[in-house]
Amino acid sequence: MNNSNKKLKNLKKEIDHLQQNNEGESKPKQGSGASFGFKISTEIVAALVVGVGIGLIVDNYFGTRPFGLIIFFILGAFAGFLNVYRVMRRIEKQ
Amino acid sequence: MSASGEKHSPLEQFEIMPLVQIKSGGVDLSFTNSSLSMIITVTFITLFLTFSVNTRSIIPSRVQLLSELCYNFIAQLLKDTIGNEGRKYFPFVFTIFMFVLIGNMVGMIPYSFTFTSHIIVTFALAAVVFIGVTILGFVKHGFHYFALLAPQGLPWYMLPILIPIELISYLSRPISLSVRLFANMLAGHTLLKVFAGFVLPLGLAGILPLAFIVALTGLEILIAFLQAYVFAILTCLYINDALHLH
Repeated sequence: MNNSNKKLKNLKKEIDHLQQNNEGESKPKQGSGASFGFKISTEIVAALVVGVGIGLIVDNYFGTRPFGLIIFFILGAFAGFLNVYRVMRRIEKQ
Repeated sequence: MSASGEKHSPLEQFEIMPLVQIKSGGVDLSFTNSSLSMIITVTFITLFLTFSVNTRSIIPSRVQLLSELCYNFIAQLLKDTIGNEGRKYFPFVFTIFMFVLIGNMVGMIPYSFTFTSHIIVTFALAAVVFIGVTILGFVKHGFHYFALLAPQGLPWYMLPILIPIELISYLSRPISLSVRLFANMLAGHTLLKVFAGFVLPLGLAGILPLAFIVALTGLEILIAFLQAYVFAILTCLYINDALHLH
């Protein structure tokens, strides 16, 4: 019993030591530049898709043929930039 | 010579094939290779997590260490992004993370099917996250949750412009979440197949694309993990947004 306790303590010491050495390495890397660009582009495209979708629905519903699409496309573009801004701020914080 | 490659389109691997035909009320509920792949994934996760921690030894075996690593990884992620109250959402995030991760990994096995390379699967996952987070926000804050759409300290005349923008930004979350995972898996697997198509026609020089494929497979495994991680961390961030209004 005593022997195994000692063994456990030794093991804990070793684990602590290894963990200290490993500090900072545990987080996965953010990936290459390509994945970074991909992340940004999906944010813009997604916002544009939603904007255009809302625009088309509004046009269909109220019969305001081109204007809903135009307005919501522009709003979608703004939302895309807002998304990119948020992603960049989050990356900067890390 | 070029005709030999005609039969094998790089996109052939994404084809859905019904294994058991089930049709009920005009709805196609067939058991497909995608369903089979998902069942393999879920079975593997269940067996792996149950049997690896079954012994519950203090000094863990390698397999037990692996599942504890998964647990710690998500637990730490929740602690970093949400804080201590994030522990409640551990089962949800862990389930999603493991499903995506093992699904991607099962897709890396040759001749298997990658269900995460279909937008409808990833969109369903993202929609679950999106709807769940929205409901969570309304339960926690009531109608005050709409304040998420209006940043604080904003002059009133900016509201008509900013609320639609914020609303579109909010609605674009599930789309960007699902498109990112889907496109990464689709692009990676297609690229692998395209380069694999170069190996035989090039003859002896085919060693070059073959070596490239080996490297690319390693990269794909990294991406498979990274995308599961991104899916999990974004889920955590959305839960955090719903819990703490700015």
